[in-house]
Amino acid sequence: MIGTRKLLPFLLLFFTSCSAFDYSPYDGLVKGEVGVNNKNSALIERNCSKRDTIRFAVISDTQRWYDDTQDFVRILNKRNDIDFVLHGGDISDFGVTKEFLWQRDILNELKVPYVVLLGNHDCLGGGKEVFTKVFGNPNFSFKAGHTKFICLNTNALEYDYSNPIPDFNFIDNQLDSLASPDDKTIFAMHARPYSDQFNNNVAKIFQKDICRFPNLQFCLSAHDHQIEADDLFGDGVMYYASANIAKRSYLVFTLYKKGYKYEVVEF
Amino acid sequence: MKWLNFRISTLLLLTCPSFVSLKADDSLYQERVVKYHSFWNKLVPRHYKLQFAGSMGLLSFGPGWEYGKHHQWETDVYIGFLPKHSTSENKLTLTLKQNYIPWTNKPLGKHFAIDPLTVSLYVNSILGDEFWTKEPSKYPGGYYGFSTRVRFNLSMGQRFIYFIPNERRKYSKSMTFFYELGTSDLYVASAFNNRYLKLKDIIHLSLGLKVQVF
Repeated sequence: MIGTRKLLPFLLLFFTSCSAFDYSPYDGLVKGEVGVNNKNSALIERNCSKRDTIRFAVISDTQRWYDDTQDFVRILNKRNDIDFVLHGGDISDFGVTKEFLWQRDILNELKVPYVVLLGNHDCLGGGKEVFTKVFGNPNFSFKAGHTKFICLNTNALEYDYSNPIPDFNFIDNQLDSLASPDDKTIFAMHARPYSDQFNNNVAKIFQKDICRFPNLQFCLSAHDHQIEADDLFGDGVMYYASANIAKRSYLVFTLYKKGYKYEVVEF
Repeated sequence: MKWLNFRISTLLLLTCPSFVSLKADDSLYQERVVKYHSFWNKLVPRHYKLQFAGSMGLLSFGPGWEYGKHHQWETDVYIGFLPKHSTSENKLTLTLKQNYIPWTNKPLGKHFAIDPLTVSLYVNSILGDEFWTKEPSKYPGGYYGFSTRVRFNLSMGQRFIYFIPNERRKYSKSMTFFYELGTSDLYVASAFNNRYLKLKDIIHLSLGLKVQVF
């Protein structure tokens, strides 16, 4: 019995040193906050309502770069001029359930609201369902001031024809709900047209479709792990891509009543 | 007579060797049957385990075998159940687990013993439509560079054994409670090269029961 008594402290130490049980890296067991995008979209809409000048930061591809993501949060929290943060997707690398939660917990430290887009890595191993639970529907929109942000799932390679990617019906519905012709539009997606994830069969149709939207300012994308600024279709619509967070930079966009400013901030 | 003699001797000559060989065949056959039995006998599971958690499902169950001079080696096969939680479907998992127990059955009182250390390496496979061993051909070569279906795990633990007294044995001779602390390859890859994830984030506890049939 002495043996048992000697063992007991070690056992207690063992049991308390780990975060309890794990059923599988792909168990889909979500603990903590869910529906992040919905809650934060409402906050953004409330904070920015009726304002002409909006300033937001863009990051993406934070998968497995926890320290860099945390550094970004610390640095952004020192600024007082940012209204919200848009994450361009690939919050996870393997689609492992805990990846979504770890990254959510880091981003929850942001003083400003944030929204996250679905990346192709987020789709792996049932990750798209975990993403939907934690962050929300992969197609969503919100309004900041006079600008409508339409966030789309463009990771067509991760789906088959039973799921329309990009979802033209969703896009169409966004047009219907626009209130005033003075409103502006920004489209955000993880993979831009002509990337390996995009359904390139409809790239031109997609472009034609989004150009219907009032005052289309520009499009945002991620996925390529480098900063990009391209007029992809030669029609004057710019596609801006943020780099992966390990490159330690983020984009800042300032929307004015007329026009916008774009800058790359390194940290 | 001569002819008859010849017939008999020929018959003897012909039959005797065949008779001898028939007898030899029979004993060889018996021997082979014994060997056959003993081969399959070795494959009769010596124990069954029920394990909770361990990155191989919520609950896993399966047979196992021990071998080695002190039964220090063990191989287990599990089928596990993984509830769907936030995902679209419940899933089954298959696990092949190899255990090494350097010191077995260290006595702890009359009916109890302890295995102070167990080390396990196991490979687990999730059976589900969304998981692949090899990347589907739609991806350019090496697009993701890992398998979502096959997981490698490592764990260490301890065991507490209760030897059922002879007169009370019904279906098993001993019962073992064990616990393990372990991790999975993707957790190690996640924690690698950053300070944010600590050991406690990637090490998990699992509990189990072992029923030793013989």
